[in-house]
Amino acid sequence: MELKKLTRNALLTAIALTIFMVEAQIPPLVPIPGVKLGLANIVTVFALFAYKKQDALMILLVRVFLGSVFSGQMMTLLYSLAGGLLCFGVTIFMEKILTEKQIWVAGVVGAVFHNIGQLLVAIVITSTPSIAVYLPVLLVSGILAGLFTGLCAQFLYGKLKHFGRF
Amino acid sequence: MKSTKFWIIVISAALVLSGISAAAVLSWRGSGEVACIYQDGVLLRKIHLDTVTAPYTFTVTWTDGQKNTVLVEPGRICVSHADCPDQICVRTGWLSDGLTPIVCLPNHLSIRIQSNTSDAAVQ
Repeated sequence: MELKKLTRNALLTAIALTIFMVEAQIPPLVPIPGVKLGLANIVTVFALFAYKKQDALMILLVRVFLGSVFSGQMMTLLYSLAGGLLCFGVTIFMEKILTEKQIWVAGVVGAVFHNIGQLLVAIVITSTPSIAVYLPVLLVSGILAGLFTGLCAQFLYGKLKHFGRF
Repeated sequence: MKSTKFWIIVISAALVLSGISAAAVLSWRGSGEVACIYQDGVLLRKIHLDTVTAPYTFTVTWTDGQKNTVLVEPGRICVSHADCPDQICVRTGWLSDGLTPIVCLPNHLSIRIQSNTSDAAVQ
């Protein structure tokens, strides 16, 4: 049983890492740093709803760490970690108050808090509080991207549950 | 458990609010050009080009009395007259973006345009 869980988490981490790396190759649509799809969050949200929160946290942390190792910028680690953990904390809370048909909400709220976390780190690192003016832009992008990834996670959850695969 | 309608309303409201403020931020940011006038590397003055309503001129004087007359119009800036021998600064013409600076080597003057926004990166 333990082995099965380990294999499953490793598989989900590999999927999340692959999505993360592929997404990093897509050129940015708008010249504002921080605007991105965040597709890897699909896996985190799914794991949090389908399994225990320790599993989801493990997948998130390993993905974030390996993601910044493979992308070659350790600075990414700080941004991803802050955004990812804040997003994760909020998603844990959302998981308690949402039904299976509302998983997309967790995607939206998680993405928004991911952006907030990254913006806070950026403010601290660059010590320029004025970049907080980008918050509305990041919120719009976060809501739209989170809606997409949240719906993905919800469909994935629904399909796999339908097939009885977890 | 809140109803799905509740979440749709809350998220739509957040989207509309942030959309409006994002539009405001982006349009405000678009006209944030600042012209910086340096003499011998020292910043003499900063001019927010988008707040200029009427054209005006001012004169920058170097130590031996050499003068450059700078003409400022809404959104752009140039050196209209100079008493230097090469006149390169005058021939550079209007400056409205940050690509190339106006430089007058004999009079130690340079005019550069900087965007008013922070270039700090958010990864």
